[in-house]
Amino acid sequence: MIPDLIESILKILFIFGVNIGFFSPILGWVERKQSALMQDRVGANRADIFGFTIIGLFHPIADAIKVLTKEDFIPDGADRLIHTIAPFVSLTPAIIAFAVIPFGGQYELFGHKVNLIIADLDVGILFIFAFASLGSFGAVLGGWASNNNWSFLGGLRASAQMLSYEVVMGLNIIGVIMVYGTLRLSEIGAMQVDLFDWGIFLQPVGFVLFFTCAIAENKRAPFDVAEAESELVAGYFTEYSGLKFVMFWMGEFLEIVTISALVTTMFFGAWHLPFVSDKMLVDFFLGFAGDNGATILAMVVNIITFFAKVVFFIWLQMTIRWTLPRFRYDQVMRLGWKMFLPIALINIFITGLVLLVK
Amino acid sequence: MGIPIEKLKPKRVRKNIELTLWERLYIFEIIRGVTITTKHFVTNLIGFVLPPKGEKRSIITVYYPDEKVTLPAAYRGRPVLVARDNGTEKCVACGLCEKICPASAITIIAEERESGERYPASYTLDMSRCVYCGYCEEVCPKEAIVMSAEYEGLAKRDRNNLRYSKEMLLRSEKSVKDRIEYIRGIYSKCNY
Amino acid sequence: MSDSAKDLHSEHMVINMGPSHPVTHGTVKFLLTLEGETIVDMKVDIGYLHRGFEKMCENGTWEQVMPYTDRLNYVSPLINNVGYALAVEKLIDIDVPERCKYIRVIASELARISDHYTNIAASGLELGAFTAFLYFVEARELIWDLIEMMCGARVTSNYVRIGGIKNDLPDGFKTKARESFKRCRQLWADVDKLLTKNRIFIDRVRDVGIMPPDEAIAWGFTGPCLRACGIPYDVRKFHPYLVYDQMDFEVPVGAKGDNFDRYLVRMEEINQSMRIVEQAMEKIPSGPINVDMPEYRWQSKDDIGNRIESLIFHFKTVIEGIKPPKGEIYSAVEGANGELGFYLVSDGSGKPYKCRVRPPCFPLTAAMPRMVKGGFIADIVPTFDMINMIGGECDR
Repeated sequence: MIPDLIESILKILFIFGVNIGFFSPILGWVERKQSALMQDRVGANRADIFGFTIIGLFHPIADAIKVLTKEDFIPDGADRLIHTIAPFVSLTPAIIAFAVIPFGGQYELFGHKVNLIIADLDVGILFIFAFASLGSFGAVLGGWASNNNWSFLGGLRASAQMLSYEVVMGLNIIGVIMVYGTLRLSEIGAMQVDLFDWGIFLQPVGFVLFFTCAIAENKRAPFDVAEAESELVAGYFTEYSGLKFVMFWMGEFLEIVTISALVTTMFFGAWHLPFVSDKMLVDFFLGFAGDNGATILAMVVNIITFFAKVVFFIWLQMTIRWTLPRFRYDQVMRLGWKMFLPIALINIFITGLVLLVK
Repeated sequence: MGIPIEKLKPKRVRKNIELTLWERLYIFEIIRGVTITTKHFVTNLIGFVLPPKGEKRSIITVYYPDEKVTLPAAYRGRPVLVARDNGTEKCVACGLCEKICPASAITIIAEERESGERYPASYTLDMSRCVYCGYCEEVCPKEAIVMSAEYEGLAKRDRNNLRYSKEMLLRSEKSVKDRIEYIRGIYSKCNY
Repeated sequence: MSDSAKDLHSEHMVINMGPSHPVTHGTVKFLLTLEGETIVDMKVDIGYLHRGFEKMCENGTWEQVMPYTDRLNYVSPLINNVGYALAVEKLIDIDVPERCKYIRVIASELARISDHYTNIAASGLELGAFTAFLYFVEARELIWDLIEMMCGARVTSNYVRIGGIKNDLPDGFKTKARESFKRCRQLWADVDKLLTKNRIFIDRVRDVGIMPPDEAIAWGFTGPCLRACGIPYDVRKFHPYLVYDQMDFEVPVGAKGDNFDRYLVRMEEINQSMRIVEQAMEKIPSGPINVDMPEYRWQSKDDIGNRIESLIFHFKTVIEGIKPPKGEIYSAVEGANGELGFYLVSDGSGKPYKCRVRPPCFPLTAAMPRMVKGGFIADIVPTFDMINMIGGECDR
């Protein structure tokens, strides 16, 4: 009982620390610097402490101080309660979705089975989709509560887009579930030991579609019609400033991390290095570290591999955001319903056929 | 339309009205675009560590105010009055710069010395009106006002501080010698 | 959809895409009547940048107007300078030396290149392609460095004079231009690969903002927008001025008149302009760059010091202004947006009686409702960008 409790608390603290403590501020810096390098310029590099500017890494701290000291206003005629809770509704699902994503395998540590996942639910993937649906409320409430025509348009666009792409995303996942036969993400990860068992080889079309739909769900470019900077000023969060604005932004960044983690787990071998299984890793370290030490080292290697793959997908999403122009609103809808839906259905059909033949 | 088509040389730029198959499938062009930006990303990243010959980095940004831009000789900065070696201005208060200024920024009150020489008792250049066109330098018959290369300190917090008097505008001839050489070059007979 | 909508009590939304909006970069106001996202009606309001150019010209002398013309089309100021100088010279009926003509051609084409860079970069930015924007801004920096070498300022150039130009090309201009063009061509290829075949971009700009050719002529279109409709009208070919009849260049022509054609026409014009600059730099003869008429053009400082006639005319033309003969003319050049015309009336005194500018983007902005009605709000963005409405030119 007590070891379980300690284990859970440690895992929660670790994920919280990595997500909110590390990824959120760093992703802001990464976005600035990566986009700057892609565009032949130098990003922000002026914030310094005692004359040391370490390539601009102090800028997230400067941003945090600026944001916390800003005036928090609610526009005239806006619904006060909804205006205040909309950012919370947008941020919470992004953080909670990480509870079912495994960042390592199952290990035997100090005579106790450790499973590196916060909540190993039976319904794994469906939990994430449920919370992603709740996240769409945030955009709608934010747009409506601002008492501004342009925000209202942005909220409408956001609601329609997120609903449509949730449907298509669900259909894409069915292929993966059929191939691996389970909804638990930890089992899907554990089954990808061999390089050619990775999801990308078994479901290539599913990967491309899921990645695209997830970016659309997150309302990042090229699907950022809801917050199109040039048409609607800032879309559904025009009237937000200070901490509430940062909560919307943080929700978006954390969803980037969640999408990367999901794609890694389902399609790119989760925490496995190619051609190296968990057992081989523990045996490798057994020689010089003893039983528990070997397990801990193997755990660390797996966690680092997982996060390295997550970082690669974060980089890829950032590159795609800065390269492509954005869709028009009706083209987004047409893409989701008329192009992705049939392809997802055909994918399920073909997967079923192949499984039947095998 | 009266012009033979070979002389007109129209060039059709729209190769096909409908989308080709390559364009219709989004994914190929997206991958091509991502490779272009990745190429810039990697080149610039390496350019920080291994810069090209003679430069500090491959990105063309200049880290102002730590580094300054090298200005060409023709650069038109703040207009200044040229002072002779004994500190008095070369200006003879002929009033040509006052008349030509398109923004009416210059005001001169002229007086005569005992030797009969004219000089400006007061010369006010309103920097909030100056458009840096360079006409004053062009019409001055005495090379008494030149466009220096100063571009810093042109903004002040109080509009009254922008009316420069004669004393604020005077510079020694040595400090603007490059500009005087340049205008002698371009306004000499052989280059005209 | 429309049957069920009849029973709903719905109103058209009137929304103001006002002068301060990220898209309307020229301060123009659109009053939109929307049904959902479809535009039912649209009214265009200009004049937010009106500064009284024509009235100011009547207060200054003929030479003092030159810095004002810089600020008409402020992304290609050299073309405005050249246009005005050619108009006054046509009024006076003088001809400038050959070398001056070649240098004016080089200046015009550099300004045209920078205008097209700015326009395509701004369109990319507003459609979401940030990277294309910054690549073309870097290319524009290189062109502006060349212009700064020539005349001393990047934007407010004030380079051309009536009867000549301010100064000759500096040493090292040709080599610097070659290097800059090499890098500019690389960046052009990058932006071409990012945008031209990208279906996301094509879907935004294809079949949007269509203007059929006969209506385009009726509205008064000129320049890249008219060439995109399929009509190869270019002032440089039809009424050649300076030395354009000796330059070998092609006129890009579109097919359908939509925004994609305008984009393609502008991209190709950048290449053609670079060709013209390179040819001009090869063919340029040596010789004087100003006409030797002291009553119309200030003479060199050597002459002012030594020849009494030059000194007298120098003082007279500065204080009273040059005195073209009485009369009125219209003269047009090919601006970056279309036919930039100057209609000058002189009453024999040193100040212009009337200096009227025919802005090329005025009919284009007026035709915006025709091009956009029935489309979405999101269609206003690429259409307005591709028209290249410059506030300083449209409102003067």
